[in-house]
Amino acid sequence: MKILVCISCVPDTTSKVTIDSSTSQISTQGLTFIVGPYDDYALSRAIELKESNGAEVIVLHVGGADSEPLIRKCLALGADSAVRIDGFPTTSSQISNSIVNYVKQNPVDLILMGKESIDYNSGIVHGLVAGALGYTHFNPVMHLDLSGDGLNLEVEMDGGKMDVFCPLPAVLGCQEPIAEWKIPSMRGIMTARTKEITVLPFESVSQIQIEKADIAETARKNKMIKAEDAEQLIELLRTETNVL
Amino acid sequence: MKKVAIIAQTKEGQLSDASKQLISYLSSFKPESIFIVALGEVKFSSIAASSSVDVVHLSDGLWCDTATVQPLVSALDGYSVFGIKSIQVDNLLSLLASISSNEFVSGIQQLQYVSGSYSINKSIFSGKASLSLKTQTASYFSFNRNFDFSGNAEFAEQPIKSSSTLTPGSASKSTIKSLKPITGSIPLPDASLVVGAGRGLKDPGNWTIVEDLAKALGAATACSKPVSDLNWRPHHEHVGQTGVKISPNLYIACGISGAIQHLAGVNGSRVVVVINNDPEAPFFKHADYGIVGDVNDILPRLTKKLQSH
Ligand SMILES: Cc1cc2nc3c(=O)[nH]c(=O)nc-3n(C[C@H](O)[C@H](O)[C@H](O)COP(=O)(O)OP(=O)(O)OC[C@H]3O[C@@H](n4cnc5c(N)ncnc54)[C@H](O)[C@@H]3O)c2cc1C
Ligand SMILES: Nc1ncnc2c1ncn2[C@@H]1O[C@H](COP(=O)(O)O)[C@@H](O)[C@H]1O
Repeated sequence: MKILVCISCVPDTTSKVTIDSSTSQISTQGLTFIVGPYDDYALSRAIELKESNGAEVIVLHVGGADSEPLIRKCLALGADSAVRIDGFPTTSSQISNSIVNYVKQNPVDLILMGKESIDYNSGIVHGLVAGALGYTHFNPVMHLDLSGDGLNLEVEMDGGKMDVFCPLPAVLGCQEPIAEWKIPSMRGIMTARTKEITVLPFESVSQIQIEKADIAETARKNKMIKAEDAEQLIELLRTETNVL
Repeated sequence: MKKVAIIAQTKEGQLSDASKQLISYLSSFKPESIFIVALGEVKFSSIAASSSVDVVHLSDGLWCDTATVQPLVSALDGYSVFGIKSIQVDNLLSLLASISSNEFVSGIQQLQYVSGSYSINKSIFSGKASLSLKTQTASYFSFNRNFDFSGNAEFAEQPIKSSSTLTPGSASKSTIKSLKPITGSIPLPDASLVVGAGRGLKDPGNWTIVEDLAKALGAATACSKPVSDLNWRPHHEHVGQTGVKISPNLYIACGISGAIQHLAGVNGSRVVVVINNDPEAPFFKHADYGIVGDVNDILPRLTKKLQSH
């Protein structure tokens, strides 16, 4: 079985997001990048399946050369090879088109992604890829097991969960507790050095123009109430903010 | 916006308030026709809108691949399609958009439509920042749950012009083996009031004080990640970067330190109350109201106060 894991490389959640005034876009200065946390779950499950049942795991990222250390980390965790589509996508459709073009040339059985990227929070790339390839789509998947020629999944829905049988090929968005996050072993880090990262050109255009980014101002009141006067809170919620 | 379609879930046959607001919001653009695609039963016979409304209800089953959604792709040809963010709505919108080769923008916080062009404000980095974008061609849109619909014009109730059921284009090769609805409590993503609790509660047995307060308020309960990792509370209650993202009118955080990964899931709340016995807890910086105190003391007193009138 061939599994493609698509990863986003995103600023660590502890980073302070700022705007670069010369471009009016999010500044990447001084930010630490990580593999998206949901994507990490997807990769961890793919590696578990490789270890338990045998599978070829390929990691794909659409982005610049700066992401290579993170792609190497995925190889150190146990992915067999990696593909980087070299460009700077600004929209979900550019990312999904790039993935779709790759898969049309290099078919796979299963595509695992995170349920959403923690920078753009769109939660749609997996659905866009599934629609364009005609693969089955489920999201967000909390448990995944192989079953005959398909998969048994536990999927979250609005207001509950469901167990489904999913045929292959499929595109899934993953979330915890699908797998345990993994730490690369020394041996993994050594062998990753010789694994291949194929770089392919980025060709996708989008009709959506990004004008600028802004920092959201969420001014909180920061009003402290003494513990002995705690009951006053209820009155303030009723009168000052009208939420009760 | 010539022809607009709305994908909306129904509950007990009725549209949610947010879906109704979305319809009246779109009505102010005077579309030629309005088409509602209902996920779930339809028991309403009229709707406040600018023009008559057609309704199609998707039959039960899985709409999870190109073959099954094909009839819907055809039905939506030529429409601009809108929805309010939810798991099912976004999954469907993304499949439909890509099958019909249209672009899809999700996470919309503000939208303007002037002479054929959309100016959109999309929330990014879990609400820490926003992106302004423009498009003339995108035709699939998903609004955030906390989209500000205030200032909507009032429209008269219109009878439903036609109502029909759409069935999947071919039987899906996927099958549902079991459905596990969460019953008995208010679903967290829909709740307008939420009480969350963290490791400061010390023991799962102490959750009665959290549940009592939630009950007195009519609120849903939530928890931090360590609490669900420890199996003190069910996984679906965990909010934050790796859990559910909520945007209620009121979030009361009890015994939660306020780690950035937790904040990522609750930043969209309108009013935040923090109760923690450590005056240095980082959460206080992100609070509208803070109380430095012991949850075992404060929560029962708040419950009592609410019950007293
Ligand atoms: C990649 C990643 C993703 C993560 N995702 C999430 C996520 O989605 N959601 C999430 O919540 N966390 C997430 N975390 C974990 C997060 O970093 C914090 O560890 C977690 O939020 C802390 O939970 P807590 O506040 O319940 O516990 P603690 O940090 O242990 O805080 C307990 C608090 O309770 C207070 N307290 C103790 N006793 C009392 C008392 N009697 N009365 C009042 N207050 C009291 C203490 O002062 C303290 O502030 C993630 C971490 C990582 C690395
Ligand atoms: N630049 C990228 N390269 C490869 N995969 C990506 C990229 N961005 C997002 N993805 C995948 O798509 C998922 C959903 O992203 P999004 O729709 O942006 O929230 C992520 O969790 C990743 O698995």
